[in-house]
Amino acid sequence: MRGGTVYLLIAIALLAISFVKDRQRTRDALKATFKIFYVVLPVLIFVFVLMGLIQVYIPKEMIVSVLGQKAGPRGILFSEVMGSIALFLPPAVFPFGGYLLQNGASYGAIAGFVFTAILIGITTLPLEIKLLGLRFTAARNILTFVLAFFISLLMEVILT
Amino acid sequence: MSRLIRNDAFRFVLLSVMITVTVYAVNAEHGARIAETVYGTFAEVFDIIVAVSIFIGLFQVWVKPAAIVKLLGKGSGYKGVALVCIFPIMMGGSLFTIFPLLKILRDMGARMGAIASFITAWGGKAPLLPLEITFLGWRFALLRIGFVVLFAFLMGILVDRVCEPST
Repeated sequence: MRGGTVYLLIAIALLAISFVKDRQRTRDALKATFKIFYVVLPVLIFVFVLMGLIQVYIPKEMIVSVLGQKAGPRGILFSEVMGSIALFLPPAVFPFGGYLLQNGASYGAIAGFVFTAILIGITTLPLEIKLLGLRFTAARNILTFVLAFFISLLMEVILT
Repeated sequence: MSRLIRNDAFRFVLLSVMITVTVYAVNAEHGARIAETVYGTFAEVFDIIVAVSIFIGLFQVWVKPAAIVKLLGKGSGYKGVALVCIFPIMMGGSLFTIFPLLKILRDMGARMGAIASFITAWGGKAPLLPLEITFLGWRFALLRIGFVVLFAFLMGILVDRVCEPST
């Protein structure tokens, strides 16, 4: 059985349990599900086009030299900058990361990208500053970038 | 707000079509390759996206933010730290949706470090595990989520150092 089918079966089983326990909540859950699906799908399509563009215009050797194992810590730094400025919804981060991995990027670089793409967002900075203050925002984003670097380095060592 | 989202959805699709058509007009072979990539990846992830959307929907109704706030507001000491470094891994949403929740936590007296730990642990993204395992492998996924706990713990300590006076 395909992985996707298994996940789908698990999801349907959980839905059934939820439905037995509380019908109204399950209806609300399904509403949320449709909304999420509706928001995420267009973004995913866009990211897939982006992946196609990279495939057509950026030679694999370039990905290998910038993000591959030989690029080492420099590759991780580069991927972190990429992740920090990428305007990806979290569900789009993994397909894109997988695509880079297949095309020669190292595990460390992928980890750096995943961490920063999820945790650092240029578009959310104003909201973060407004709600939690400039000092916190600066500290959190800078520390996230630095710690993500060391953890990605560790992951690279463990996984390769 | 929902109108804005609708617009965004439309804009992303429109932009995707425009890029593909433009590339196709310049070089038909390149355009076809982009279309193939989009179709191939789409076919690969469609059922996973459906499953993940269901997971997130269920999380949203069964794990209410108010309950989380209550849980973390009470938790102090080691238990609180453990909660704040592990629990948010299970949550969905984007940065936009969790900042307001964190503001409430802050107003209830949570330390800045705890807020930072919360955000970092939320980056663990357990509801997206099916996607992560499919594209990056289960070794990567499990290792990353394990490290997220350590990451969240360290963030808490460091942000407290910088942001909480006299501690």
